[in-house]
Amino acid sequence: MKNKSTSFWLFLAPTLMALLLVVFIPALVGLFYSFTNWDGLSFTNFVGWNNYLSLMSDKDFISAFWFTVKFVVVTVILLNVIGLGLALLVTQKFKGNNFLKTVFFMPNLIGGLILGFIWQFIFTEVFPALANNLGLNFLNGWLTNQATGFWGLVIVTVWQMGGYIMIIYIAYLQNIPDEIIEAAKIDGASAWQRFVNITFPMIAPAFTVCMFLTLSNGFKIYDQNLSLTNGGPYKSTQMLALNIVNTAYTENDFARAEAKAIIFFIIVASIALIQVYYNKKKEVDL
Amino acid sequence: MHLSKLKRFGYALAILGLGLTLTACGKKSSENDKVTISILQSKVESNKALKSIAKTYQKKHPNVEFKIQSIGGGTDYNPVLKTRISSGNAPTIFSLLGPADVIQFKKYAADLNGTKLAKLANKGTLDTVTDGGKVYGYPYNVEGYGFVYNKEVFEKAGIKPEELTTPDKFQEAVKQIDSKKDELGLDAVFATPGKEAWVFSDHLANLYLGQEFNGNSLKLYKSKSMKFTANQEMKDMLDLEMKYSVKPVMQVDYTSQVNKNFSEKKVAMVQQGNWIYSTIEGIDKDFANNGVGMMTIPVKGQEGKLPVGTSNYWAINNKKSDKEQKAAQDFLTWLYTSKEGKDLVVNKLHYVPAYKGYSDFKMPDALSQQVFNASQSGKVIGWSFPGYTGTPWDQNTMQPALQKYMSGKADWDQTVKTATDGWKKQQAEN
Repeated sequence: MKNKSTSFWLFLAPTLMALLLVVFIPALVGLFYSFTNWDGLSFTNFVGWNNYLSLMSDKDFISAFWFTVKFVVVTVILLNVIGLGLALLVTQKFKGNNFLKTVFFMPNLIGGLILGFIWQFIFTEVFPALANNLGLNFLNGWLTNQATGFWGLVIVTVWQMGGYIMIIYIAYLQNIPDEIIEAAKIDGASAWQRFVNITFPMIAPAFTVCMFLTLSNGFKIYDQNLSLTNGGPYKSTQMLALNIVNTAYTENDFARAEAKAIIFFIIVASIALIQVYYNKKKEVDL
Repeated sequence: MHLSKLKRFGYALAILGLGLTLTACGKKSSENDKVTISILQSKVESNKALKSIAKTYQKKHPNVEFKIQSIGGGTDYNPVLKTRISSGNAPTIFSLLGPADVIQFKKYAADLNGTKLAKLANKGTLDTVTDGGKVYGYPYNVEGYGFVYNKEVFEKAGIKPEELTTPDKFQEAVKQIDSKKDELGLDAVFATPGKEAWVFSDHLANLYLGQEFNGNSLKLYKSKSMKFTANQEMKDMLDLEMKYSVKPVMQVDYTSQVNKNFSEKKVAMVQQGNWIYSTIEGIDKDFANNGVGMMTIPVKGQEGKLPVGTSNYWAINNKKSDKEQKAAQDFLTWLYTSKEGKDLVVNKLHYVPAYKGYSDFKMPDALSQQVFNASQSGKVIGWSFPGYTGTPWDQNTMQPALQKYMSGKADWDQTVKTATDGWKKQQAEN
């Protein structure tokens, strides 16, 4: 037993070292800096909780926070509904389902920045062209105000991540033993009843995983935000991560950006963990 | 047999390699006058030209090596410089982008007061980088902006751009072009980029906001308040540019303004500077060379004056060895004052020179020529906006406020109040 624990730690050491060096130590250093007036080069004194207190009156930070929360709520729902829907679709037995799987997953292979620029072109060039030719007026002026900026971001995120969520659901869907479904069929359960009472509980672990991924991803989104709207117009579509980066690099207020990042981390971590805790409770074992 | 031959060949190669490294080492230690100038600079469009200039310089000065890195202007450059300084890999020559950078980095910048180049710099160009009697940078070049227009459109409409010196005359001309836009083949008079808030917060506002500071960016940077008395004039100009622009204004960005609309001749003019020449040239060379001109933005009391200035300065790292600093100094002096260097500055870097001694030069494009003429004749308005581009006020207060106004979410009085109050607040904190 003793032996096992030595080798256990030995094998773990490289990973732990890497984590220590690039995650834990920088996080602690960041925490330290958030109590100073660091400007990225040096700091002259400690300011206590001032950086944190100043966030309460930081309108941009607060509006970025609520914008992000709204975004997360919408994308978590849409991503899980669409991801599960696509998964159910491609696990049906029909010709071309493998091809569809690939197609749906494809957007996830494109980097967020490039995707943002591609969709920017679609929103600002293709949409107006469609609007003019088909008379669909709502396609005009996308990304020029908060509402269209918001939905633009949602569309891009869902389009990109939907396939990824689908893959996770597929893995769990394929793990459901055929016998149970068959037994339910023989007992006369309808397709809907089979889905609600068998499929859904069986894929609950997938739900936990996907909720976690979509939640944390939604909060952390940066590249799509940067390339699609860059927070504009008038900062109305600025999300938390972008706000933090801008605080550091355009306002040159690294210490306050650190404070924001710490708050951001606490929010994301606690929401994600609470979610995992509750969803874990719901999972069933065979 | 074959194999052993190959083996022998391998050995020979290895020994040869070893020998080479050894001699290389020997050479290095004996050549003590070797010096490496590392440059970190903020004008990406100059990257290629600068590298080739470095090669030219090396031919004459074989002891000098260059390491050149160029990082996109504005917000991207500053963090890289910071990172390089704090990681102990600071460059010999770096860029300063206005007073805010001067204050932040002057600890690392050598005092250039009294040097040959500083003496040759055009009047006023050093004001921005002078603090406490010390000069911290050399201007790269000067640039100018106004309304870049399509000559053919104005000819056909029978309007002479050089006569549009007052806001009223200008407005009249815009209306006239707008009424004829179908026969002139235009979509609109302007392409006004609502997405690029800097076009208005920096360039346009400079003309009205900068009046009380005499176009001196350092004065503005140090001022605790701004009056912005000419704000109504700015509103009129902004409204005009928006009203007669391709729509929706808030969807127009730089690419759409310059590449898609102006270069494709869909609009009569755009509010931009001589830096757009290369973009137009890339799309329509003939148009760029023969079809474009630049007129001044008409401002009351400033008739016929072009806003000419610079926001990029070369600084020399004072923490480096004397030898390295001298090499850097020599290189910059050679570039801007020697016969060969001057030619490279004008024809390779496409810079409008910010130094004396260029009077017999001809600029390679019409827009630069106009800036050069203005700068030579002194009919210029100074650039005061570098005094705030490096401060949070620009991107956090002024730009969002203007975009809000342009999207119809705020009225002008609110916009002006947000801007002036925001400046007061920022300056009080500093």
